[in-house]
Amino acid sequence: MEARPVQRSGSRELSNLTRTSSIPSTPNPSSAAAAEVAFMRSENNNNNTQFMSKPLGGQNYHLLASSNGGAVGHICSSSSSGFSTNLHYSSMEKHYASSSSNAAAAAALRDDSSWCSDSLHGGFLDFPENHHQASQIEDGGGIGAAFDDIQKRNDWHEWADHLITDEDPLLSTNWNDLLLETSSQSDSKKTLQVQPQPQIVQQQQPSPSVSVELRPVSTTSSNSNNGNGKARMRWTPELHEAFVEAVNSLGGSERATPKGVLKKMKVEGLTIYHVKSHLQKYRTARYRPEPSETGSSEKKLTPLEHITSLDLKGGMGITEALRLQMEVQKQLHEQLEIQRNLQLRIEEQGKYLQMMFEKQNSGLSKGTASTSDSPSKSEQEDKKISDSKDHLTPEETGKCKEPESPQPKRHKTDN
Amino acid sequence: MKFGKRIKEQIQESLPEWRDKFLRYKELKNLISSPDPAEFIFIGLLNSEIEKFNAFFVEQEEDFIIHHKVLQYRIQRLVEKYGDNDDETFREEIGEIRKDIVNFHGEMVLLVSYSNINYTGLAKILKKYDRRSGGALRSPFVQKVLHQPFFKTDLVSRLVREWETTIDAVFPASNAEAERGYERSAAVSSAAAGEGIFRNTVAALVTMREMRRGSSTYSALSLPPVNLYDLDLVLQPIHIPSPILS
Repeated sequence: MEARPVQRSGSRELSNLTRTSSIPSTPNPSSAAAAEVAFMRSENNNNNTQFMSKPLGGQNYHLLASSNGGAVGHICSSSSSGFSTNLHYSSMEKHYASSSSNAAAAAALRDDSSWCSDSLHGGFLDFPENHHQASQIEDGGGIGAAFDDIQKRNDWHEWADHLITDEDPLLSTNWNDLLLETSSQSDSKKTLQVQPQPQIVQQQQPSPSVSVELRPVSTTSSNSNNGNGKARMRWTPELHEAFVEAVNSLGGSERATPKGVLKKMKVEGLTIYHVKSHLQKYRTARYRPEPSETGSSEKKLTPLEHITSLDLKGGMGITEALRLQMEVQKQLHEQLEIQRNLQLRIEEQGKYLQMMFEKQNSGLSKGTASTSDSPSKSEQEDKKISDSKDHLTPEETGKCKEPESPQPKRHKTDN
Repeated sequence: MKFGKRIKEQIQESLPEWRDKFLRYKELKNLISSPDPAEFIFIGLLNSEIEKFNAFFVEQEEDFIIHHKVLQYRIQRLVEKYGDNDDETFREEIGEIRKDIVNFHGEMVLLVSYSNINYTGLAKILKKYDRRSGGALRSPFVQKVLHQPFFKTDLVSRLVREWETTIDAVFPASNAEAERGYERSAAVSSAAAGEGIFRNTVAALVTMREMRRGSSTYSALSLPPVNLYDLDLVLQPIHIPSPILS
């Protein structure tokens, strides 16, 4: 659309290397458990091969079994209903995706298709991101057969994987029979995959169970990890400077090799893959910094749209136009910071209130009426926040403030 | 529905490569409206969306970090090369750099905006879900989101502010007529680059204002209206085409 100031080079998807956030590793049996567990899975998730191998059927059962929390439990109250829910989606997906349909499943659920509006069509079930090719999961049994077509849709794997906990060895052994891949297979394959170095990847816990079935599935997505050794790396300017120094000392970006740079940098946890992809980006950025620079010819031609854009800014000179653009950008940034601070504060208050809630409720453990399970919990949360929100001064909504550590309750006297 | 419309427009106005990286708000909403929205499916989708945000954000950030250095280097080289000489090639090159700085700044701000709108969408959809299911999924889930890489925009914001101060040194103090005359001819080529970013930025501001104007479900968790006094002044001289402002 327009000249892009920054060159993009494709890089492999990497999990976060430097995540310092601590996600509790033990799922707690509450309605939040599903969220927490699922989230943890996403933290653990390499997005790729590791999860490609997970058969959907097995996952399904995993989840059903693991649900001792209300949230998941009440939805999948019986294995069959959970099954059908999943099939429901899968058949809809098949139906709309026009892939070969599992007649039985599709027929059974076609009646329910009333809610499956057009908006679902090619909607959320399609994830262009991390688009893997058809998995090679073998079908081991009757249940698996139903999922044949689903498994070909790798996006299922991707998100369904998020729901599985590999924390509980018990569960996985329960459902081993149903898993479409034998445990012995997975054991051996597990060793094939490189386990991420423990000091780097904090979120990847080596699983004692066989539920993590690692197999060398050929995930051909360009985004995928090519193995388990890569964690996503989050670069910083300081790290990049060390990188540049290393590169320069090795004769420049063209002559430096990833291995050499890695060695020079001596940063613990940094892998050659990180360096390699970063070097690639660096080279591209250095030798073609601005696409617009490559066209002195651009100045000769004046397409109509270019002139229009100038008019957009009132026909002013370029410097004025740039100033204006800059001003608008500054405004947006300022507003974003304000909004973000407000959002943080709201959540902080919510969290605080939740804590108070739970404290209060735990104190009422002796059979007195407890409000913790009330459906209007979210409304109560709302109310309590609104009480304390009154303390927000008008200034805060209008000014750009330096981010401050959020306090549970704001009082007018603070300002 | 208002947010759904807003985010859709925001996506339309956004840079092309970004368009499929945003939250699929509509799909999630439809899932919630369905007769039997399985929580695990809902959560699964959310998680996958979050992974998408994280991957995109971190990669953009990496590109920005590299480009940040490259730009600094270019300025330094330019200053070294020309010193105080104010000849034409210098003017040309500094004009280029100015444009690049502004566009770079713009893109970074847009990434912050990207992060924010996705966060906002997540919070909203969770709220909707709780309302439908009577549960309390929102609060703990959001707590986790706050720790996600895509939400931690501090570094990008820091770079943004750095360039805001730096750019004053690169921009002329006054706008001489001669300069303007010269610049008009150069403007056409460089305007295109900033055009998309500019439109996108304005769209994001308008989106934010509209989103916070006041909703049917205004609650304690809603944000107050945006104080856009300054913005209105800024936008006034510009004749913004209606699609952005709708």
